[in-house]
Formats: sequence, structure tokens, C-alpha cells
Amino acid sequence: MRTAYELAVVLTKSQLRGYQRRRLMARIFGDPRIILVLDALFLVVPALLFYMLSGALPSGIEGSLRELEVEALAGIPTAIAFMVILFGVLSEISQAAESMSTDLVNWLPITPSEYVAGSTMSLTYTYSFMLSFLLGVSLGPALRFGMILVWGASALMAVLSLFIGACVVELLRSVTNRISSSFYKKSGRSGIFVRLALTIVVLVFVQLLFSGRIVVYLLQGIMLTVRVAWFVPVVWPSLAVLAGSQGNTLTFVSFAGMTFAFFLILFGLAVRLRAIYWVPIPVSIRLTNQAYHPLRRITILPGFGSAEAAIFRKDMRSLTRRREMTRFLAIPFVLVVSLSISLLPISGTAVPEGLGFFALIPLYVIPLTVFSAVVSMTSLGQEGSAVWNIYVAPITARQLLKAKILSALLLGLAFSVTMAIFLGVLLRIATAHIVLLVTLGIAIVLGQSAMGMYFGARFPDFREMIRSRFISVWGSLIGTFLCLLLAMLTALPILLSIYVRRIITYDFAIVTFAIGLILFFVGWKLAERQIRTLIQEIRV
Amino acid sequence: MQALEVSGVTKTFGERRAVDGVSLAVNQGEILGLLGPNGSGKSTLMKIIVGILKPDAGAIQVLGNDATKDPTAVKRIVGFVPESPRLYEFLSGIEYLDFVADVHGLVPSAKHERISHFLKALDLEGRENELINGYSQGMKQKLAIIAGLLHRPQLLVMDEPLNSLDPRSARIVKDLIHKLRDDGVATIFSTHVLEIADAICDRIVIMDAGRVVEQGSTGDLKAKAGTPGSTLEEVFLKLTGTSDTREIVEALSH
Ligand SMILES: Nc1ncnc2c1ncn2[C@@H]1O[C@H](COP(=O)(O)OP(=O)(O)O)[C@@H](O)[C@H]1O
Ligand SMILES: [Mg+2]
Repeated sequence: MRTAYELAVVLTKSQLRGYQRRRLMARIFGDPRIILVLDALFLVVPALLFYMLSGALPSGIEGSLRELEVEALAGIPTAIAFMVILFGVLSEISQAAESMSTDLVNWLPITPSEYVAGSTMSLTYTYSFMLSFLLGVSLGPALRFGMILVWGASALMAVLSLFIGACVVELLRSVTNRISSSFYKKSGRSGIFVRLALTIVVLVFVQLLFSGRIVVYLLQGIMLTVRVAWFVPVVWPSLAVLAGSQGNTLTFVSFAGMTFAFFLILFGLAVRLRAIYWVPIPVSIRLTNQAYHPLRRITILPGFGSAEAAIFRKDMRSLTRRREMTRFLAIPFVLVVSLSISLLPISGTAVPEGLGFFALIPLYVIPLTVFSAVVSMTSLGQEGSAVWNIYVAPITARQLLKAKILSALLLGLAFSVTMAIFLGVLLRIATAHIVLLVTLGIAIVLGQSAMGMYFGARFPDFREMIRSRFISVWGSLIGTFLCLLLAMLTALPILLSIYVRRIITYDFAIVTFAIGLILFFVGWKLAERQIRTLIQEIRV
Repeated sequence: MQALEVSGVTKTFGERRAVDGVSLAVNQGEILGLLGPNGSGKSTLMKIIVGILKPDAGAIQVLGNDATKDPTAVKRIVGFVPESPRLYEFLSGIEYLDFVADVHGLVPSAKHERISHFLKALDLEGRENELINGYSQGMKQKLAIIAGLLHRPQLLVMDEPLNSLDPRSARIVKDLIHKLRDDGVATIFSTHVLEIADAICDRIVIMDAGRVVEQGSTGDLKAKAGTPGSTLEEVFLKLTGTSDTREIVEALSH
């Protein structure tokens, strides 16, 4: 147990330090105690705020507020498990396979159970501020309405859920590691592809399984027939809290006990999987046994020479082969799954003309913008420590920009079309309106890929580490923010025209498209100038 | 025309002068060895020569092309092998070489021929379809050397190229440099192995603390050291102020 604790401290430190690199920030945020401070802040401040808020409300709605509070308290445990898993999936799983398997802990005298215990503790500790925030928000009204016991029950179950979430992340690590190692052995091109696909499927499936939305459905089902939800461990903590709120102690204790048992089972499973699968990977992939044949020179586009084509081809290969890229490829899938979950209730009815479509646009624009901007902003930084190859190559800034922007454009366009069609089918939108969405999508992707390229060249991060970022923290914050603003600007004509006329018309799509084109050319010019500065001198 | 002409090159990182007013020249078909203790500025100088670092002062001419004014033209005729090269680990060896050849615009038939030739020569045949990820350090070094040679550079700049190579491959690379000299290719390379410098260099430049402290043929240098029959090692230690090694070793062993 002691070993597990010490390991947890080390893991937490390395986790915190993975994100922060500036001197002063590193000193403040590299210290695990910072989390305790954050926890306290996140608990106390919202609690006070919401205590005062709930007192200031008119007394007439107190009844419905109480109901809301119960629902919230019941929802917190499941929500926290979902959040930990989502964060875990996006940040933990994306570690490079090599750095995981050559992880120092593989060589230390540590048993799998000590490792899993240590790692779980570290994960729960790192993400505990989310829990204290949720608990802080719900504490205020709970005090006001005298539901402090129910709140206590919720807090207890939420802590358990936090551990459950951390165990699931642990499990996922082993499973994805297993997927890669077994396909490393099998090797070959198809192996690499299957590994990628399987990893994404696992991530999306787990996300679905622990999604709060689905739990809400199930909870609705509970009101009708409790028997259905009985079989779903994910909702046990919530059922426990509900039972507690009705003063049903026996039911509370049994659901709480079942939750604890569920945790133990997951923990045991994580330990077993870790013991079986956590072997260092002998990495030696043979792609093909065929003799080498150089490709005939293919001109992909006019003005696209062999150097640009070579860089483009390399980047496409990196997309499917590099472990760090999995998270970028997973973004569309994860977003689409989350979207479809949140859209399910209205899937039965066709969206009404005008305002329904209006509401749909942000739903389409935001994920598309995020994906497109991220892909473009990280495109230069991806070169990593091998970037000297670009520096010694006799290529101009424009050639590099052409090669890099093509892959960003293609990925963005693929996502925009797929998502428009997906939404169209899910919501039964008229084909003409899907075309409108696609037009909007193309306009956004045009602007984002060029602008993103500028930010990527302005704030590149070529360091390769456990969580390579490819763009500096500031760069990604500023870049994402401005990209979202520009995307809104692009969508504005269409939004305005629908809002003002209350029907969907196509004339303003031309304006939107024109804005997209203008942003593309402005971004192109900015990016070209920035890349010219960038490639003058190597900075690694 | 000289293959390389460096005049008065200076480069400062913050407070530290990594290269301090270096001038040197390499003729076509000449092999120049760059010696110097760790941190004496060899790698920095080489990066400036191939145009990936900008000098604070001074000028570089490669076969008449100004490296600061037209870096692209220089990069076309220079081959560079960096110190412990980092490659694209997610590519196979052959894909990486293919990439480099395409970036330099080699025509497919020439590309095929040269790549297979080099793979065979450096014992990489049969491993070329594996991901670089799984290569040993020496294999990566060989790939980087091939990548530096693919486009038939006129000036070859290699930073400790024989590091982590097995004796057979090191021999092949040495012979290759010799053979390229006969075709008029100029080579400048750094090394810590003085025997190698002694054996294959036409001329040697010794750097210390960013400056050139001595240059000349190995014979010249040995003559300058005073005592006849002294080795290059003795010359090197004397010039770079580390001749009192015996005392250091004595002090360490107590
Ligand atoms: N990118 C850099 N930033 C700061 N200092 C550097 C950088 N590159 C080299 N130096 C410093 O310049 C000096 C010369 O380094 P280098 O050229 O690598 O020497 P050598 O190759 O002869 O061992 C060293 O003191 C080194 O610390
Ligand atoms: Mg060096």
C-alpha cells in the first residue's frame, strides 16, 4: 500500500508537470498540493454563490427547485465518472505507445495491483477538482433546502464514481496497449489500420457506455419500471442517491454496496489486465515484403511538385501510424457520438423550417471549427524533432504551406460533408438544406485551415514528449478562440438571413462562401509570411 | 571556385559565443576534418554552413552561392548529416529515403537505382520495409547518411557521422567519402576519433571555444607541435589546453 501511495505521488507530479513548462507556473502547478487548494476553492466559492442565489429566488418556485436539486444530486456521481473517462480518453490514452511500454515503471519492482492502485489514486486526485466543483454548486441549494444528508449521500457516491472512472481509464490503457501490441506483432499495413480503428471504436464505445445522457434515459425509465435499470451498474450510484432522498435507507445501502462491489470488480479486472498485457512491445513493423517500386511521379494538383507531394504523403501516413494522432482522428467520432446522443429525443420529428435549422447551425459549426482549426494548427508542429529534414530541404515557405494546407483542407472537408449528411439523415433534413450546410462547412474549412496554419507557424512546439502538443499552450488558446470568432463571422450571413426572414434562403450562402474565401486568402498570406520567418532558423 | 568559403562567422546564443569569428575554406575534392573538444562550436558552425542557423556576422559561400541570400540554392547542393539524427519514426526506411529523394526532386528511375544501391552498400537491404521506429541507433545513422548523399551533393557536411556505426559500415562510409573526393565532392566532417581524422583528412581544422586555433595538413600540424614523431592526439591535446590529462587521471584515481 505504501508503494502504491508513493507511486501515486510520483505519477501525479509527472502528470501535472506534463502540462506546465514555464518556470514560475511549473513551480506552482507542479506541486501536487495545488490541487487541494483548487479543490477547496472549487467547493467553497460556488457553494457560497449558489447558497445566496437560491435564497434570492422567489419562494413560489421552491418546489420545482427542490426537485431539480434532487435530480442534480442524483446525476453528479454518473456525471463525474463520465467526465473522468472522457478526459482520460482524450489525454491519457493518446500517449505514444513507445513511451508507454518503455515506461520506467515497467522496470521497477512494482506489482500490477500496486501500480493500478497508485495510478488510480493519482488519476482521482488529479481530476478531483471537477468533483469538488459539482459538489460545491449543489451544496449551496442543499444547505438552503435542508437536504444536507442527501448531499452527503451524493458526495459519497460521487467519490466512489470517481474511483470507478479512474479504474475504467486504467482498463482502457491496458486494452489499447494490448490492441497496439498484438497488431505490432501481426504488422503490415492492414494491421496499422485495424489498430487505429479498434482504438477509436473502444474509445467511442466506452464513452457511450458512461454517457450521462443515456443514464438520463435510463433514469426516466426507472420512474416507470425500476426493474430495467437494475442491471446497469452505471446508474447504481444515482439510484442510491434517489433512494437516500426518499429516506429509503435499506435501498440506499444496497445500491451503495453494489456500487462498491462494482468498483472492486473493475479494480480487479484492471489489475489482471495490466498483469497480462503490460509487456514492453517489441517494435519492429514490416510494412510489406514486396520489393521496392518507386511511385511514378503523380501530380495531385496543378502547381503541386514532387516535394509538396512527398510532404503531403508523409503527413497522411503519420495520421494513421502515429499514436499521438489517434486523438485527432478520434475527435470527429467522439463529437458525432456525443452529438447524436444529445439529438436523439428530436430524431423522431422532422425539424421545422427556419428556426429549428437555425438552432442546428452552431451544432454543426462548432465541432467542425474545432476539428478543422486543431488539425491545421498542429500540422507544422507535428514534424517534431525530425523537423530538421524540412529545414535542410531545398523548399520554399510556399511549397511547405501548400503541402501542409492540403491535408488540413482534405480532412476538414471530409468531416464537414460527413457530418452534414449524418445530421441530415438523423434529423431528416431536406437535401437542399444539407447542401446549404455543406456550403457553410466548406466556407468554414477554407478559412480555418489557412488561419490555423498561421497560428501553427507562429506558435509551433516541436518538442516530442509524452503528450506532444505540436503548438504552444498560448498559441492554441489564442488560435482556437480567434478561429471560433472567425467561424462565427463566416456563418453570420446565413444565421442572420434565417433569423430575420424566418425561412431558409440560399442567397446569403454566397456571402458566407465569399467570407470563407477571403479568410482563406488572408490566412494564406499571413501563414506564408510566418512560415518564411519560421524556416529561416531552426529552433530545436 | 572554392567549394566552401566561411569568413568571419560569429554566432551567439544569449550570452554564449558558440562560434567566434571563424574563417576557413574547403576546396573542391578536399576532405576537411573538424576537431575540437565538446562545446567548441563544431555543430553550430556546421548548421550555419548548411543554412539552418543564421550567423550573427560573417558570410558563407557554397560554390559561389551566398548561404544567407539564397539558402534554397545552397541546400540543393549541400548534403547534411546531423549529430544523432532524428528521423520520422513512423515511416519505413524506404519511405523515408523516398521522401528525401522526392523533396530534392529526383526522377523516379534515378531515385530507385540510388536508393537500392545505398541500401545494399550499407547492409540495410531486407530491413528497408520496417518502420524506423524499430531500427537500432546505427541503422538510423546509416539512413541519415544515405539521405544526405541521395541528391549527389557537391558539398557534404557531416557531424560525427561515424558515431554508433559498426566497424564494417564505418569503413564503407570512410571509403565512400574518399571515392566522392575523386568526383570532386568536398567534405567537411567533425569527429572525436583522431585516428580517423588522421587517416582520411586532407586538412584539419582544430576549434576551441568557438575559434579556429590551428589548421593545416596532418603533417603540418605534427610539425608545428615541435617534437618530431608526435601523434595527432598529442597535437590536439596541446592546442586545446588539455595536455595535462595525466594529472587529471591521477587526481581522479585517488
Ligand atoms: N540552440 C542553442 N541554444 C543555446 N546554446 C547553444 C545552442 N546550440 C549550441 N549551444 C552552445 O554553443 C556551444 C557550442 O555547441 P556545439 O556547436 O554543439 O559544440 P560541439 O558540437 O563542438 O560540441 C555550446 O556551449 C552549447 O552549449
Ligand atoms: Mg557537436
